[in-house]
Amino acid sequence: MKEDLVLPAPREAATDGAGEPLLVVEGLRKHFPIKGGFPIRRTVGAVQAVDGIDLTVRAGESFGLVGESGCGKSTTGRLITRLLEPTSGTISYRGKDITHAGRKQLAPIRSEIQMIFQDPYSSLNPRQTVGKIISGPMEINGIEPTGGREKRVRELLEIVGLNPEHYNRFPHEFSGGQRQRIGVARALALEPKLIVADEPVSALDVSIQAQVVNLLQKVQQELGIAFLFIAHDLAVVRHFSQRVAVMYLGKVIEVGDRESIYTRPRHPYTHALLSAVPEVNLHDEEAGRRERIRLAGDVPSPISPPSGCRFRTRCWKAQDKCAAQEPPLVRLSGNRDGHLTACHFPEDPTIEGREEDIVLDPALAALEEDIERP
Amino acid sequence: MTSPIDIEGGGTSVVVDGEKEPKAKPDEAKQLEGRSPGQLMWIRFKRDRTGVISAYVVIFFFVVGLAAPLISKLYGKNPYTVYADERPELFDSAGVPLQPNGGISGEFWFGLEPGNGYDVFTKLLYGIRNSLMISLAVTLATVLTGIILGVAAGYLGGKIDYFVSRLIDFLLALPSQLFFIASMPVVVSLFVSPRDETPVYVRVVALISVMWVLGWMSLARILRGTALALREREFIEAAKVSGAPPGRIIRKEILPNVVTPILVQSTYMLPNFVTAEAGLSFLGVGLVEPTPDWGQMFSKAATELVMQNDLTYMFFPGISMIIFIVAFNLLGDSVRDAFDPKTAR
Repeated sequence: MKEDLVLPAPREAATDGAGEPLLVVEGLRKHFPIKGGFPIRRTVGAVQAVDGIDLTVRAGESFGLVGESGCGKSTTGRLITRLLEPTSGTISYRGKDITHAGRKQLAPIRSEIQMIFQDPYSSLNPRQTVGKIISGPMEINGIEPTGGREKRVRELLEIVGLNPEHYNRFPHEFSGGQRQRIGVARALALEPKLIVADEPVSALDVSIQAQVVNLLQKVQQELGIAFLFIAHDLAVVRHFSQRVAVMYLGKVIEVGDRESIYTRPRHPYTHALLSAVPEVNLHDEEAGRRERIRLAGDVPSPISPPSGCRFRTRCWKAQDKCAAQEPPLVRLSGNRDGHLTACHFPEDPTIEGREEDIVLDPALAALEEDIERP
Repeated sequence: MTSPIDIEGGGTSVVVDGEKEPKAKPDEAKQLEGRSPGQLMWIRFKRDRTGVISAYVVIFFFVVGLAAPLISKLYGKNPYTVYADERPELFDSAGVPLQPNGGISGEFWFGLEPGNGYDVFTKLLYGIRNSLMISLAVTLATVLTGIILGVAAGYLGGKIDYFVSRLIDFLLALPSQLFFIASMPVVVSLFVSPRDETPVYVRVVALISVMWVLGWMSLARILRGTALALREREFIEAAKVSGAPPGRIIRKEILPNVVTPILVQSTYMLPNFVTAEAGLSFLGVGLVEPTPDWGQMFSKAATELVMQNDLTYMFFPGISMIIFIVAFNLLGDSVRDAFDPKTAR
């Protein structure tokens, strides 16, 4: 695929699907209350940001979470790192339930789950030196590495490809890519087993994205750290993750190994998402082979999501059953082991072009008709 | 067209270059240290000429205030001596100094006050001292209160935020000048019965507490806003993910980032408190005779007896206060500019 041009070809990690479950999430929900009313403010509704998702991240694997903006990816990441309190469901880390654990109870686990943030300009304290930023987590957790914290910080700076001499510099003296490397070094400082990377490259330049993704991949493979990689860039996730989950409006609609999701997707939304990846050789002979689906409208409001299947309002195959009954996330016949899809009327497992393009956007359809008409 | 100077410079340039080479290296090593935002601010501040001059003026006033006892000792007088009794030959029957310009002479540099005949120079020194000490105490108290309530409200949010914000709104709604005047006698009478003579320290404590209670809100409100914005920044979340307790987050992550508004606001607040304190003393509810005070010197100079005779009495406290307030406000502006050079005033 063309998007792989910037990045080296995906490598099969040794840990592919082999590790035991590290993090198990079941029926996780997060509803943000909406306050309103006068004179007494009360809860008048809820933004159902995450509404019952199940995930399993195995030790040493990289698990990708994709979906369009506002589908609850970042909320999921923040729930797992316990920055947000889940409304319901369970999160268990190595068999231990941490769903509602307090700060003190979480203390031993804190060093094992770390996070890399989206915005490198807001994730580093402007008043602290790089050395202080990276050694902060060690200080909080009382970790005294052999040779002292400063030596360890210098090592970490070297691992992430920065000059160890930058120890006494301040974040404002670095570029976005360098700052994100500092963020990675901070996450690595505690030698975690799981890193939640919340869109770690989306704020960066494309050329820098490749560098940072390769750095993360190096870290993941050499140190055997499991990643929950949240992104909206399908190419980056394909490059980085062995297993991928697709989210839509607070729900996981399809999950499976990379191969299955990218070449044999079953859910109509996954098809639409993959077909939305821009193609460079649009007028080539080859281009005709890819399917073309153009959705219309926006994601419905998470305040009052559609009944049944949440994608039905934008789906070209939707029938009465979709509104009445919520499709379960199950393995469909013909799917590989571990490839689960939540759809009543799944698509064929292919991304080859179909006889007729699916263009749901009326404006786009009209435009194309005009062009075709001589 | 080569001048001898050029030739001379050209001749020695090899040596100069040779010397400069190793000198540049330690410079580079120093560069790697990195400059903290505070250091950058200091560098910018030093480039601002107005700011530096105002800073010197302000420091001069503080030194004068601090060294007032020493200066008056060298000068050989104190502000409490009643020269109308000690040296009656200097005054006429109405108690006005005989010499022109309010009795300015080699002995009494700034003249003598009509009535009791206090020495104006030492009175001004002690007046500056008392006013600045009171204002400094009020500023410290308000800054501390502002930090504690503002940062707590902003960072913790929820009910605490709600109550602190309502308290700020309520106190800001009070007409502060009127409230100062009205509450001063009330506060004083809390400590001392109206029939007894009020000790000076009670008045000072009352002044400080009245200005403190009605002075902390603006800073607290600004700090609440800043803390609220900082709370959403990702580096706070990063600290939480590492398991940092709230105390550490406030100390290490939030407080260093609110130093800027604190410094800027306190440089604006202190001159305001100086004028407020002078105003109260002018109106007769602050410090009263014989305790020397800046504002009370104005009230003395504005009395009928004095105004008829000479403007000199208004001159010294007036000029000194104008210089001080203008310098301090310019300093405040320069500090602000040095901290965020991007925002236009």
